[in-house]
Amino acid sequence: MKIWLRGVLLTILLLLTQGVVAHEMSMAEMELRQISPTEFLWRWTASGNRPAGEVLKPLWPAGCRTEQALLRCGADGLRGTLAIKGMGQGYSAAMIKVYWLDGQARVYTLASGRPKVHLSGSSADDTPQGAWSYLYLGIEHILLGVDHLLFVLGLLLIVQNRWMLVKTVTAFTVAHSITLAVATLGIAHVATAPLNASIALSILFLGPEIVRRWRGESSFTIRHPWVVAFAFGLLHGFGFASGLAQLGLPENQIPLALLLFNVGVEIGQLGFVLGILLLERAFRLLEFHWPKFIERLPGYLVGTLGAFWTIQRVFILLRGAA
Amino acid sequence: MNVKKQRGRPCAVLGATLLMLLPVLASAHQEAGQTAGFVAGLAHPVSGFDHVVAMIAVGLWGAVLGPPAIWVLPVAFPMMMAFGGLMGLLGIPVPGIEIGIAVSAIVLGAMVLVQVRPPLWVAAVLVAIFAIFHGYAHGRELPAGGNALLYSLGFVIATGLLHLVGILLGEAHRWAMGRRIVRAAGGGIALTGLFFLWRAVVA
Amino acid sequence: MRRMRLRALIALATIAVAPMPAHAHLVETGFGGFYDGIAHLAITPADLLVVIALALFAGQRGTRTARMVVFALPLAWWLGGLIGARWSVVTTLPLLTTLSFALAGVLVALNMRVREIGVAIFAVIAGLLHGVVNGATLAPGGASGLALAGVVSAIFFLTAVLSAEVTALPAGWPGIAVRVAGSWIAATGLLMLGWLAKMAR
Repeated sequence: MKIWLRGVLLTILLLLTQGVVAHEMSMAEMELRQISPTEFLWRWTASGNRPAGEVLKPLWPAGCRTEQALLRCGADGLRGTLAIKGMGQGYSAAMIKVYWLDGQARVYTLASGRPKVHLSGSSADDTPQGAWSYLYLGIEHILLGVDHLLFVLGLLLIVQNRWMLVKTVTAFTVAHSITLAVATLGIAHVATAPLNASIALSILFLGPEIVRRWRGESSFTIRHPWVVAFAFGLLHGFGFASGLAQLGLPENQIPLALLLFNVGVEIGQLGFVLGILLLERAFRLLEFHWPKFIERLPGYLVGTLGAFWTIQRVFILLRGAA
Repeated sequence: MNVKKQRGRPCAVLGATLLMLLPVLASAHQEAGQTAGFVAGLAHPVSGFDHVVAMIAVGLWGAVLGPPAIWVLPVAFPMMMAFGGLMGLLGIPVPGIEIGIAVSAIVLGAMVLVQVRPPLWVAAVLVAIFAIFHGYAHGRELPAGGNALLYSLGFVIATGLLHLVGILLGEAHRWAMGRRIVRAAGGGIALTGLFFLWRAVVA
Repeated sequence: MRRMRLRALIALATIAVAPMPAHAHLVETGFGGFYDGIAHLAITPADLLVVIALALFAGQRGTRTARMVVFALPLAWWLGGLIGARWSVVTTLPLLTTLSFALAGVLVALNMRVREIGVAIFAVIAGLLHGVVNGATLAPGGASGLALAGVVSAIFFLTAVLSAEVTALPAGWPGIAVRVAGSWIAATGLLMLGWLAKMAR
């Protein structure tokens, strides 16, 4: 490919990444402590450059009103929709920690793409229905986790036949299920910053392998993609676990919620794989003849974003360490 | 990813894709009213026995006539019926609807019983006229309100599925034993039509 | 009889000209704008039916036509969406959108031999029309450009997959099933026209 074309592509991709990496902006934290069935103490506990209280404005569920640090709710208690206004201007996410009177805690995460949450009213409402919402959360986590999807896309670009595809996807699934469970049940723990950096590295790793496939060369990864899928799958599982930890788990039914979250992740991932395969099949049936650079765009996307995230996250890691 | 060059099974994939779309159409909506509209539409054609037997008779006759009628009828019928429904909804007066519906069951049943095989255009025109009667009756009966589009969709799908039942039953026509059963079914449908005619005229 | 028909015609014309207020119904999947857009397509039957019918029709006409429609429809839709969002004429144009999917259904049912440029033009007009309505409904509901991107991506995916599968269908039954599907879509459209006339009166 001509050099100038590469340059243009690189610029476009870098511009694209600006939109994708929003989840590493600063996060606000709010604490809500129940002091009586209908009363709560609330305050912002962690802020970014500007105090969270100046930028963000909580919109409480109907029937709740604030008197300074005191939040009074009606007979329904803290039940209904909690939204946060002003998200996206300095804050990309807010974590709401609710401590109930009976000693249980629940964490909710709001983001600019998801500016409201439903509060269940009490800790006792974390019944199986509550756990079922983790299926949904699992699907959401994978569908919004562009880095995980990009890794899967990279694997699809390397895999050569159907049997290898089944082996690779299964290996990735098994591996990330193991570490998701291990991390969530508290058996092992990985610090977030290095984890994010190594997940980015796993995506970057696939870039050169994809180029080798284009050139018709072979490598260990190309011959045995499932081994790579398994190894890096272990990493991605820890990533899912940190996402799940941010959401918080109902303490009395961790295994069920964990299982459903995992199933949700698999549903989302299989849907993505199926969609890509169907689209690829459609292009083949319709006998599309793409210009070479479009045919290779997905590969460049994997490589460039992988590189970009690696640099960015290593930088965050070093800054955190210093 | 270059999954090996294969023509694959387009039928299966297409069918699966369309099937995946169906429940999405039907139930993805959070508002219960919309789903209810679709289900009500699905249920409507099945609620009147005179309609049900006539729809099945169309499928049966199609199978008796063999290709190309077997596919012309199920393609033409829904559109003609919808045209009748349109007339009903617009309130254009058409006389003798109840009688027309009963007669349609008698004629179609008799065609199957006696194994009449007229030229395709005769069969098509006959079925088209009956289709308009049926559609018109539905058009007049359709309840107002609700999600009209989903209701109509459910209604059309249920009608089409009834044809499919008729065609599948009619496929038994290939065997000697099956032929007798198909003819018996035609006779039964004609008798049902007679009953409805008697009711329409007397009552 | 004649007066009735005239009244019906007037009723239809009224709906065409007098646009209904857009009830901005934007689904919130909770997955962000892009997925909200996909969901919006999934639960808007008139949009979904026109996409399905056009995809089936393009597939019937062969790979060359399908290749054109796979790009023409989403691009026109996107353009229409931008126009609709920019100049939010608050409208849903139910008669025109119903006519477009009913007509597409009729073409599929009849397996009409339309030249590829004709199919493409039809796809562009239908895409623009539905896109404008989409843009006008989505924008006041507070949806971002991401929602429109979601709608358009879903349309691209659906058109490509459906039309490709139809081009590859073996002769015989499967092709007829496609025509039956078209006739169902056309029938739904006809009934819907009746409803619209009834509601206008």
